[in-house]
Amino acid sequence: MISLNYRDSRPIYEQIRDELRKLIVTGAIGVDDKLPSVRALATELAINPNTIQRAYNELETEGYLYSVPGKGSFACRPQSADQARRETLLEELKGLLSGLRCLGMTQAELLGLWKEAQA
Amino acid sequence: MIEIKDVVKTFDGFAALSGASLTVETGSVYGLVGPNGAGKSTLIRVLTGIFRQDAGTVCLDGRPVWEDAELKARVASIPDDWYYFLQANINDMMRFYRGFYPAFSQERFERLGEVFQLDRKKAIRHLSKGMQKQAAFWLGLSCMPDYLILDEPVDGLDPVMRRQVWSLVMDDVAQRGTTVLVSSHNLRELEDVCDHVGIMDRGKILLERSLAQLQDNMVKLQVVLPEGMDAVPDEIPVLHASRLGRVHTLIMRMSAREAQERLAPCHPLLVDAVPLTLEEIFIYELGGVDYAVRDIVL
Repeated sequence: MISLNYRDSRPIYEQIRDELRKLIVTGAIGVDDKLPSVRALATELAINPNTIQRAYNELETEGYLYSVPGKGSFACRPQSADQARRETLLEELKGLLSGLRCLGMTQAELLGLWKEAQA
Repeated sequence: MIEIKDVVKTFDGFAALSGASLTVETGSVYGLVGPNGAGKSTLIRVLTGIFRQDAGTVCLDGRPVWEDAELKARVASIPDDWYYFLQANINDMMRFYRGFYPAFSQERFERLGEVFQLDRKKAIRHLSKGMQKQAAFWLGLSCMPDYLILDEPVDGLDPVMRRQVWSLVMDDVAQRGTTVLVSSHNLRELEDVCDHVGIMDRGKILLERSLAQLQDNMVKLQVVLPEGMDAVPDEIPVLHASRLGRVHTLIMRMSAREAQERLAPCHPLLVDAVPLTLEEIFIYELGGVDYAVRDIVL
């Protein structure tokens, strides 16, 4: 379910966090679905359980999961999480846009892309 | 909890350990790294009660390890030069281990038999090097240890077995809170399995951090400075700088955000922060103490 890329320069916990978030956002892990236990994931990926726990803690802070003591962690998608995600994506987009502008891309061409994405 | 404090061990006047100190919390996986001859194996032999230290203390759960059989029965160790009796097969060694480890689990031994598909009735010394190592893990994990001390544990294992072994160890850590101390040169692998790292050099621990701290406190930046600016101003502390064309690569001992803030007054055209791998951290930390790859052409 989660694949780690050892050539990726992101630390392992970030990769796990991002992968899980992607699964939750895309609905592959539905709202209130149970996430794999820290132990199960640690064994499956051969990764330190504390590293997995760190990824889970961050997702909990971001609001993508909640934990029920003795039961495990469950997925959720609060508005605030979408908002935070939107902000990070917008930041990335700004960087990309300034890069494209440096390469001489015009506003009209960018708007064309926007329409293409909506189609 | 493992506590090693100011340990000194000399062999014929050579100090293999010269005041080494380290702490491993219960349930933590501690990676011990360092250049060849740094004293890692000596430290492990002192910790497992094979060598007696000349000075300093070595304690598990607050008790000195030396000659404490009851304490050592809770420690499983896989050294880099393991020993099996001549002619002994895995079943013989199992009975030997069972006699020394009160917590030895026959059930677990049988279950691990499905993982390690070794001939139990064949003399261990007739098995290949990698298979002998598998046997060491099989026996070691069956002892249900509270402490697992591993010296170069996956050397000689094939890729499937390496992963299998780490998976078993991680399961044990998650399930039973086993404390693990592992020495290795495979930093890529340590990054996955460790939560704490100690870098050792010349008989001492240079630095000891959690992996999270290490990753958050050192950053690699790729920076393009504005026209007319050849180097980063001196007041910005840079651990290591190199340059390729207009792109400066800077290693800085701070978080990525802080580094970007410090550089902002220079108005760089581009700043790209890349987290460092453990391997890079190792190289830059030891580079500071005069241990680096030299540019020698033969």
